[in-house]
Amino acid sequence: MVIGPLTWSVLAPLAFGALCLAKDRSARWFALLGSLVPLAVGLAALGDFARHPGSDFRLLETFPWSVALGASWTVGVDGISAAMLALSGLVVAIATISGWNQQRSPRAYHALTMLLLAAMNGVFVTLDLLVFYVCWEVMLVPMLLLIGLWGGDQRRYAAMKFFVYTLAGSVLMLAMLIAMWNALPDGQRTFDLRVLTTQWKLWESTAFLGIPLAAFGFLAVLLAALVKVPAVPLHTWLPHAHVQAPTAISVILAGILLKLGVYALYRLAWPLFPAQALHWGWLIGLIGVIGILWGAWVALGQRDLKRLVAYSSVSHMGFCLLGLASLSVAGATGGMVQAVTHGLSSSLLFLLVGVIYDRAHHRNVDGFGGLAAPMPRFAWILLIACLAGAGLPGLAGFPGEVMALFGSFTAGGYFPWFAVIATLSVILSAAYLLWMLKRVAYGPLLHPEHATFPDLDARELAMTVPLVALIVLIGVWPGPLVDALRPSCEALLTHVRGAMP
Amino acid sequence: MIPTWLTTAILFAPLAAAVLTLLVPRANLAHGLAATIMAGCTALAAWLAILVVPHGVTYQGPHIPWLDLGGFTLGLGTFADPMGAIMAVIVALLATVVLIYNSWYMNGDKLAVRFPWQFCIFVFAMLIVVLSDNLFMTFLGWELVGLGSYLLIGFWFAKPAASEDADYQRLKGVGARGVLEHRLSPAHAQLKAFVMNRVGDAGFLIGLGAFLAAGVAGGFREPLGWSNLTQLSLGGLPGTFLGLSGNELLTIACLGVFCGAIGKSAQFPLHTWLPDAMQGPTTASSIIHAATMVAAGVFLIARLAPVMTPEALSVIGWTGGITCLLAASIACVQWDLKAVLAYSTVSQLGLMFVALGAGDGAGGTTAGLSHLFTHALFKCLLFLCAGAVIHACANSQDLHRLGGLRKRMPITAVCSGLAVLAIIGAPFFSGFFSKDAVLAAALLHAEDVGGAAWGPFLLACAGSLLTAGYMVRWWIRIFAGTERDHTLTHHAHDPAWYASAVLLLLAPFTCVFLWSTWLSDALAAPHTEAHAHAHHNAMLIASGLLVVGAGFAAVVFAWKSELATTLARALKPLHVGASELWGIDRLYDLVFVRGLGAGVGRLTAFLDLGSRDRLASLEGAAPYRRSDSLSLDGLIDSIGRLCGRIGESGAAWHDGRVGAYLAIAAILGALVLLMGVLW
Repeated sequence: MVIGPLTWSVLAPLAFGALCLAKDRSARWFALLGSLVPLAVGLAALGDFARHPGSDFRLLETFPWSVALGASWTVGVDGISAAMLALSGLVVAIATISGWNQQRSPRAYHALTMLLLAAMNGVFVTLDLLVFYVCWEVMLVPMLLLIGLWGGDQRRYAAMKFFVYTLAGSVLMLAMLIAMWNALPDGQRTFDLRVLTTQWKLWESTAFLGIPLAAFGFLAVLLAALVKVPAVPLHTWLPHAHVQAPTAISVILAGILLKLGVYALYRLAWPLFPAQALHWGWLIGLIGVIGILWGAWVALGQRDLKRLVAYSSVSHMGFCLLGLASLSVAGATGGMVQAVTHGLSSSLLFLLVGVIYDRAHHRNVDGFGGLAAPMPRFAWILLIACLAGAGLPGLAGFPGEVMALFGSFTAGGYFPWFAVIATLSVILSAAYLLWMLKRVAYGPLLHPEHATFPDLDARELAMTVPLVALIVLIGVWPGPLVDALRPSCEALLTHVRGAMP
Repeated sequence: MIPTWLTTAILFAPLAAAVLTLLVPRANLAHGLAATIMAGCTALAAWLAILVVPHGVTYQGPHIPWLDLGGFTLGLGTFADPMGAIMAVIVALLATVVLIYNSWYMNGDKLAVRFPWQFCIFVFAMLIVVLSDNLFMTFLGWELVGLGSYLLIGFWFAKPAASEDADYQRLKGVGARGVLEHRLSPAHAQLKAFVMNRVGDAGFLIGLGAFLAAGVAGGFREPLGWSNLTQLSLGGLPGTFLGLSGNELLTIACLGVFCGAIGKSAQFPLHTWLPDAMQGPTTASSIIHAATMVAAGVFLIARLAPVMTPEALSVIGWTGGITCLLAASIACVQWDLKAVLAYSTVSQLGLMFVALGAGDGAGGTTAGLSHLFTHALFKCLLFLCAGAVIHACANSQDLHRLGGLRKRMPITAVCSGLAVLAIIGAPFFSGFFSKDAVLAAALLHAEDVGGAAWGPFLLACAGSLLTAGYMVRWWIRIFAGTERDHTLTHHAHDPAWYASAVLLLLAPFTCVFLWSTWLSDALAAPHTEAHAHAHHNAMLIASGLLVVGAGFAAVVFAWKSELATTLARALKPLHVGASELWGIDRLYDLVFVRGLGAGVGRLTAFLDLGSRDRLASLEGAAPYRRSDSLSLDGLIDSIGRLCGRIGESGAAWHDGRVGAYLAIAAILGALVLLMGVLW
């Protein structure tokens, strides 16, 4: 029984997490090492998919778990999961550097971060539906504790809201699991996703509570995913969670946790229930467009910097929904590219907000001004982050956005209209991000005490510069990433179109 | 014949200059290095032009796929034809000379070392627009040009707005009034420019989407290349998009792309960002907001001329005409010398769009491009001279306080005088040739089509009349007459020898013979009886307008200055209206910035998370009230509160009173027995 790299990407964080409990000073080092393992595995897999594109699952491993249930530890990655795996490793590594100087119970803090990483990686690598569900729920617990114990003034409220809201969204998935398992003929019962996706006609014909099981299942996964994405109107947990969480946890939340919702749609909802995806796609697209504009407009009215960036996340994730729902190759690939690149730019924005908060101890955008003079490096990196968020070509925010838009323009039904409306968001995103930049960094220095603020130190540069480098690299040369993701998206769409009547 | 590396080298030279100058810490060295590389780029561009222009060659350079999206591919590649090659030479040449000039202009400025690399990023983006071989790549360059403009407008990022600037308030002098006071800070101006350009870009993206959808429907793998677009548009676009098809769809697609041009070229209604962009260094303004970036819109529409429908062209013509007159009227009453030039640029761009709106057949494309090229050179010269004046007069830009500078700054006076003669279209100057072409094309188109098509021509004539007036006024108020404020102007002198050399280098380009001998043929202007007739008539009309306009200005401003005040009083409504920029800036501020922007933003934030009281009550700083539920988040919380209350009321039944338990058990038991008996 050889443990392969994908299982290591889940085991290593757990092992290093246990090691974190040893000593306070070494906990952060173990956490950093633990996050580098999935980063390395993910990058290697992604590179393989970029050089040899294909829609197959690679690095497969199977360990039996319960023969009676038909559940097993089956893992494998396609282009999409490889990208998500690499992203999760990167974001948690950066977040660990951000939380380097955590003084309150650093052992528990870093150990919980590692548990969170293990659970997220479990979701990304598993090909077993039961394991997917278990990891999906397990990851809520360390997040609850991380926000609830290490957060700001309203941390208990925000943590509980996040936990109960997300849990409530995913509760129907358990019923879906059981019903699907029951619907399978005796002796063929399994939770292997590759088998389950071929059985989509069975879910159509089986009834559950008076409606087709496929409809119930689609609704179940949709609810779980839409709360997590987050999609308007199920998004209001996010501003609270972000504002109350410490900077590093905000980075993990925005950088990778939100992508799990999109991933669930790509891995569960669309493959398992293609007929529903065809039928209800327009609604998901509409939700996406509403989220894009609503998130942008609310961001325009925010004075708290963290809440502003939180709503910019809501806005950007709308493009992922729009892209996938349009059922075009450009759109589906663009949605995934947007998920990856948003993880980079949003993490960078939260890190920079954390930098200001560390110095000024408040996050009110009106309380700053002219910080580019005492902190020039900070101002340049903030400019790059804002331009990436605004979708400037040459930076990472552009390919995903433009692919989702073009995919919608060339799709059928209502999607060209959705794309026209979504295009108006380019005005809003430039407005709220650059207006924030102006109030924070440009103009005369409004508060003389800010003149002594130190610029980014070595640790802060170590956590921001890699993100900047990746944002520029993917912005200028998105080809490899797109080539890695496109075949899986094409295969997904072929499968969905196969359910057309 | 044309080496394969040539276009790529021209394109990437400014990027190399930007990267290399980033590593140079000293300002003079940085400027010198950048100027040297750009000089090399100019030489390469000139070589390309020599290869391409004489025989009207169209050259497709290397092309790589950038985004492979299944059904279609978006690629990057270079393309050169006569108009692109000439534009590339002009961009590179102006970039080189402006860099040399700026090392004098920003001498002693602590931030000067930033200028070369930011400037070269802009030039790189501009060359992407000029040399791109498909509409998508043009869009990439388009947005990056906006970035360059953003960086350069906000160059002095810490400078406050005029009303908050203590230094400015102290030095402004008694006579400063009007628009000078309302100047934005550079930080505000750069934000305004970027967001307004984004409004145009949204339209551009929709136009792109329309072309792309049609291209996919028409079975093109890479539908956005120039030849593919032309082929695609023959007889209307294939497929259906937003319920439109054929020629209607093509018109909408063209107008979408024109939206981008309206934003980038500061046409009405997206023109208000350009005068505020004057907050940037004058050297930046000279190339970005005069010669090249704002010309990108004209360039793109000229490039897409084979694709345009008559309906789209008529919209373009009218927009240009309205802008021409609108901006010219405002320029007449400006007291800031840079603002006059800014509005003049907007007005001249309008003139170019009037020409383009006349259509290829009437020679409009050639005319528009000719005026684009001549305007780039004399406008750059005007701005550089303005920079010299500002530098010489203790950073003052107030026309009230300048005057008589021809004695102290002869080179500047002569060069700017030549440029003014060019812009008003005086005979023997470049503007005479290109403006005549514009009016001829517009006249021919109006005669052909009749009816509403006379509008753009008449607006262009009115604009030209005013242009002659205000540009002569500009020159007279700065250089003629006597010094009005000696304290300001007593130290004035011409720029340093290398900067003056730049002015003297650009001056000959205002001479008509440098253009008229070859440009029309290079741009394939049509030569028919009707065209010659129109040219003849246009020349007469233009000369008439020139004499009236320039003559009036010379009389009023150089001789009888009381006439100016009398006239202003007589035409008070017009005068006040123009001074207030026709209220457009205020309207936008009210409707878009305060209304749709901050206003709707705050409203949606309130609907989403509730009021500040609600947020305070969440942390116990204020008591909770029922009305706090009236937001989306509040609704979610009220679900939680409802569950809590159900639990509490259920818990009320479990309070330990045995008697109550027995009573409930007895009632339930009786009910069960009853049901068992009945069924």
